[in-house]
Amino acid sequence: MTTSTHHGLWSILWGAVVAERHGTVLALLIAGSLLVGAGILWMLMSVPTRYRKPVVMAVTFLGGLILALEFLAGSEKWHPLTDFLPTYGNVQMVIGSFALLLGIINLFMIHGQAVSKRTKGWANSLAFFVAFFAIMMAGFVKDYATAKAVSGSADSIFTVFFEGFLMPLSSTMFSMIAFYIASAAYRAFRIRSTESALMMITASILMLGLVPAGLYLTAWLPEPLSWLRLENLSAWLLVGPNMAVQRAMAFGIAVGALAVGLRIWLSLERGSFFDRQL
Amino acid sequence: MNILIKLQQIDRRVIYALVVVVLAVPLIFHPAGHPTLVTPEVHRAFEVIDQIPKDKMVILSSAWGPSTESENGPQTAVLMRHMFMKGIRFGIVSWDQAGSQVTYKIGTSLEKELHKQYGVDWVHFGFKLLNEAALRGIGTDLPTTMKNDKLGKLVSRLPVMNGIKDFHNIGAVVEISASGTLEGTMIYTTQPNGLSLLYCPTAVMSVEAYKYLDSGQVKGMLNSAVGAAQYETLIGMSDVTTQASITTWALSTAHIFIIVLILLGNLGYIASKKAARRQGGEASND
Repeated sequence: MTTSTHHGLWSILWGAVVAERHGTVLALLIAGSLLVGAGILWMLMSVPTRYRKPVVMAVTFLGGLILALEFLAGSEKWHPLTDFLPTYGNVQMVIGSFALLLGIINLFMIHGQAVSKRTKGWANSLAFFVAFFAIMMAGFVKDYATAKAVSGSADSIFTVFFEGFLMPLSSTMFSMIAFYIASAAYRAFRIRSTESALMMITASILMLGLVPAGLYLTAWLPEPLSWLRLENLSAWLLVGPNMAVQRAMAFGIAVGALAVGLRIWLSLERGSFFDRQL
Repeated sequence: MNILIKLQQIDRRVIYALVVVVLAVPLIFHPAGHPTLVTPEVHRAFEVIDQIPKDKMVILSSAWGPSTESENGPQTAVLMRHMFMKGIRFGIVSWDQAGSQVTYKIGTSLEKELHKQYGVDWVHFGFKLLNEAALRGIGTDLPTTMKNDKLGKLVSRLPVMNGIKDFHNIGAVVEISASGTLEGTMIYTTQPNGLSLLYCPTAVMSVEAYKYLDSGQVKGMLNSAVGAAQYETLIGMSDVTTQASITTWALSTAHIFIIVLILLGNLGYIASKKAARRQGGEASND
């Protein structure tokens, strides 16, 4: 058999695996994949550690090796691995989805217990269930309902949930930081030492130098003294001392990340095998 | 002296109420004034976008959600507006599920205002899971990596994707982010393919980007809503009230208010120290 025949057969087989499917076939495949995935997880968790370890180690090592080889060999020299990257990404996405499922199960267990036992704040847990199912159903009906009137109504409901609840609530949570920052800055920024004085002056220059109102405060300074204008001082602070410190930190973090990455790749990290300790 | 001492004990509820007032003023009066000063990093970002040839596409890599809309929203809007005005095609990919909806909404509202067409002038690739393979795929095979757009249509069949295959057809990548995604885009998308990278972070994250601006790995930056307002000045919107101009003035008043608070707190601190010293001296004299 020639190489081109091998390649052709491989393409046909691979094409059959990744071909787009719809409707019942798709639903059956999703359900089947979930069952197979859950089965693999169950098998891994139920076999003794000495059998589990080699499997997890091999999969982890292989996963890392593909990316490392692809990156180091260069995309033009190692075509098969580069072509495999989108599929690799999909596999990663599927595994990530299992983590999402674990998160949902965890939320259901915690809030389910709170509701069933009527613990303090159980109404908030009930609100979680109502919100979860309401936005999920609205989303599904909006995208998959065949009748236009039904999907249109679901779309309106989804918009109310998303734009009326989720967006303002998320923004509100983030905006609350402004109140805490104002209060904390007022309480914490006391000139107790030279270092705290330096920090306060630097913070004030940066805060004023980055906003237009601050620029007007020193705009009157003549050209020979223009380096004292707030925007110039803040620019110097950012590209001078700040950049030096950031660069030093980045080098340190990179070396640390390399060490951690290597430990995870070689399964030397604690808890790599569903155990408390290796 | 007593008043000064009391200045370091202002009730936090009073501070919260004052923050509301300080932030509300620009939000109610909608000031149109934009910053007259445009920083070099915003200038460079503008030049990169402005010089992109018409046959290339710009990728907006969006890693933010509704919580940072006040900062990342104006950045996304001003870049989209500039590209619509220049006739530069762009595609936006969202690494945040809720952010996908927000960025799509920004695009559709600008599309209507500037008489552009979805699928022809721009495309939204929807929410995608952020991983190395996806970031690499943007440079190696964009249509296959993105596969479907936000509306479920095959990306490769959209007119906007005509002639767009890989990094050869990409003019620049813009990272609009509220989390640490810059390095990933740099390592897997822009650096290996020699693509220009622009960065649009939230204000607190911008300080980390100066090292990359200095090395040239990031070509330009829009620092939060202030950077977006400066960019608006460059595209001739300095007298138009926008989300960016309102946010910029709200930030101005908030920053000044915080500095006033710090000064008051320190006045109280110094006064209480002096009073304590004086009391100590009187006690030793007695």
